[in-house]
Amino acid sequence: MARKILCVAEKPAIARAVATHLSGGSFQTHSIRGNQYVKNYEFNFNFGGAWGDCAVTVTSVVGHLTGLDFDRQYKGWQSCPPGSLFEAPVQEAVDKVRKCLWLFRSSADVCNKDKLPIAENIRNQAKYAKALFIWTDCDREGEHIGSEVRNQAKAGNGRIEVKRARFSNTERAHVRQAALAPIDLDEYQANAVAARIELDLRIGAAFTRLQTLQLQTVVAALKEKVISYGSCQFPTLGFVVDRYLRVKNFKPENFWGLKVIVNREGKKVNFLWKRVHLFDRAVVTMMLERCLVAKQAKVTKVDQKPKSKWRPLPLTTVDLQMMGSRFLRIDSQTIMKVAETLYTKGYISYPRTETDQFDKAIDLKKLVEKQYPDSSWGQYARELIDGKFKTPRWGRNNDKAHPPIHPVSWVSPTSLNVNEKKVYEFVVRRFLACCSDDAKGQSSEVEIKYGDEYFHANGLIVLERNYLDVYVYDKWESSQQLPNFERDELFEPTEANLFEGKTTAPNYLTEPELIGLMDANGIGTDATMAEHIAKIKEREYVAVNTRGSGRSSVSELIPTRLGVALVEGYDNVVSGLPNSVSLSKPFLRKEMELRMLEICSGTKTRQEVVQQSLDMYREVFIHTQRRINMLKTACRKYLVEAPES
Amino acid sequence: MASPDQIAAQILSSKSLSVSPVWLNAFLSSASAQRNVPPSALAKTAIFRLLASNITESLSKHRSCILPVDAYDPMVQERRLQGAIPVQVLDIEDIGTSLWSQIEAIERVERGEAIRGREIVRTIAVDEDPEATETNGANSGPVAAANASGNSGSGPHRLILQDAEGTVVAGVEMQRVDGISVEKLAIGAKLLLRDPTVARGMVLLNPGSVTVLGGKIEAMDTPWRQGRKARLLEKTAGLEGE
Repeated sequence: MARKILCVAEKPAIARAVATHLSGGSFQTHSIRGNQYVKNYEFNFNFGGAWGDCAVTVTSVVGHLTGLDFDRQYKGWQSCPPGSLFEAPVQEAVDKVRKCLWLFRSSADVCNKDKLPIAENIRNQAKYAKALFIWTDCDREGEHIGSEVRNQAKAGNGRIEVKRARFSNTERAHVRQAALAPIDLDEYQANAVAARIELDLRIGAAFTRLQTLQLQTVVAALKEKVISYGSCQFPTLGFVVDRYLRVKNFKPENFWGLKVIVNREGKKVNFLWKRVHLFDRAVVTMMLERCLVAKQAKVTKVDQKPKSKWRPLPLTTVDLQMMGSRFLRIDSQTIMKVAETLYTKGYISYPRTETDQFDKAIDLKKLVEKQYPDSSWGQYARELIDGKFKTPRWGRNNDKAHPPIHPVSWVSPTSLNVNEKKVYEFVVRRFLACCSDDAKGQSSEVEIKYGDEYFHANGLIVLERNYLDVYVYDKWESSQQLPNFERDELFEPTEANLFEGKTTAPNYLTEPELIGLMDANGIGTDATMAEHIAKIKEREYVAVNTRGSGRSSVSELIPTRLGVALVEGYDNVVSGLPNSVSLSKPFLRKEMELRMLEICSGTKTRQEVVQQSLDMYREVFIHTQRRINMLKTACRKYLVEAPES
Repeated sequence: MASPDQIAAQILSSKSLSVSPVWLNAFLSSASAQRNVPPSALAKTAIFRLLASNITESLSKHRSCILPVDAYDPMVQERRLQGAIPVQVLDIEDIGTSLWSQIEAIERVERGEAIRGREIVRTIAVDEDPEATETNGANSGPVAAANASGNSGSGPHRLILQDAEGTVVAGVEMQRVDGISVEKLAIGAKLLLRDPTVARGMVLLNPGSVTVLGGKIEAMDTPWRQGRKARLLEKTAGLEGE
């Protein structure tokens, strides 16, 4: 009997893809007892090198295998003061039938199941195996799931050797290559996730219990409700409320501006004021008068210069979510689910990445060639290979784990559903655009001085569209052509007028804007942002409102009264306290995320980070307990006194 | 011991300010204890005091260095004044930025935040109630507004200026002038107007027509800064009534 190697993937679909590619399509499938989704696939494969020809069993887990929870005596809501949850003992155990509290994977739907049979399957399979190859997704979360798998396998077979396959898509050649060159599990990353899980549990449970128990007594409407707290959810809510208040408190103001019109060569050219507009009518009137008195304007600048519109950077997760919700009109969580499906099926690379640089080793032309069969952009792909191909721009981010999101194989649109088609098309067009040349044009600018004031007019001719032909989401179009002006020429403008306008309130926050804010402020990771947004909707802290109609409609996020009350309440809790920041602000969570990175780089231990972060939040917790009336008052104000809205 | 004339001449030559003899004598008698101070140092101290003084009390009211009494007259389309005229700043507003965004900038400073692109940055300890819209913000708490982190607008600015005689006129920053900004220019700061043009009652300010001498009148500047947000709010409330 040849040696046996056990391979464990993060979800059943990946296990199947790995089995299919390694076996060449012929394998035996065995069901496991107690779980209808997880299967064991058996076949032989030559791993080369020291391993050689081996019997292989490929199986999977379904997301996280274990969960962290408080000891039994702390589980009841009334069992202990909520503050003691910062120190209460916790246990890691294989998930039994329980809610997936810390769910960050879109395998949510199947996760709600007993994990014991899956763990048992791994222990049993490990007994006869020489080595364990972990095939969880290659990111922080996957590293942690890998460590859970390893613990089970070691429990079944103490001498089993543990390796990890590094892969970023499920395309055949890539998977086979990964099988031949396994690496070690990254303990640091697994520890960072373990720290985050513990912090989320303790901080989340302590604040959730405190605010739920306290607020339930104040407002009848909250009696049956769990008012959950999460250290990412609240800053996310904070952004939505902050914008809402800015819109609500906004006061429109008048402004005045100047514009100059010149008729020349049969064209009417509008010159725009360099100052755009000012908020003082008397001053603008005086400035206009000085223009008119001067009579003649002088051309101070005539500029013709080549201008290009840059092709986009390689696609990251945050960009996919932002662009996706803007151009495809799909919310970010759905986009991530769809992208995950496309990845699992082997059409696109791993969709969770921060990298916007294509490694030199990737054969991009080969990936472009794969798009030849497409009826929409196949021809464009051919033209790229026939000479128009350009090496993509080099962005500033590299997570050292995954390449930018790109198509790995072509799929006929007929075998995709509506959303899959949209997301796949976006990923492909973006990729082809990355491999194209910038759009080229010629811009012209004329600047004049009239009285004491400067005005300018601009023109643009698009000469080569290049990437714009495939990247239909960007717009760049030629404008009216400017008539001829000579530098230092004096002339009398046809008209100069004063115009009046009014400032308008900002719009309510949209999902792409929110993702941008979360990204810039370190709330969540590219993989989890969409989940946090979905969570604050689900908790009824935020509602989605549609403005406009048809193609121009925009989905806006508006806080509910409860959402506003919580943010105002927490802001008031720390108001006047030096060095304390509100839980509605991103600062505490951002610090915590930075410490996670320190675990990943090995400069801090899991224990240190957990202690430091707990201390930080404990301080706010104590303030909140002492000044709980601030929260209660805010809830009464918005939920009981029902203000005019 | 330097004569008052010597000191006055030094102040005139270095800052183009004609000091009032009454003020100078008072200054010298108060400073006369320090007998051994050289005249140049004494002149420097005098200038420092001058910049912190109220010019209606400290500068000469000779016709060559004051504004015409009707300088503010909006009926006059344009006139060119002669010579160097010292004035002090009574008020400054940024007319390139809406009142509302100025209020938002002040509130960010109060919360100890600044904006860097899309990122919110913590600048100082949080010591203010961000829900100041309710408390109407009148003199609420310590004013950290002197902090330059308010992401304020870039003007142009409209100033209210006063000459030694007490004549008041508006000034408009027609071209960017270094030192003129809500954060940097104190109330009571001194400017020297040089052959300025006055149009429709507004002195046109540009780098050629104005020199910022600096200084401040503490007793005016502090309340002005403390009350700035309240005044802005009041103005926006007034707009609504229109």
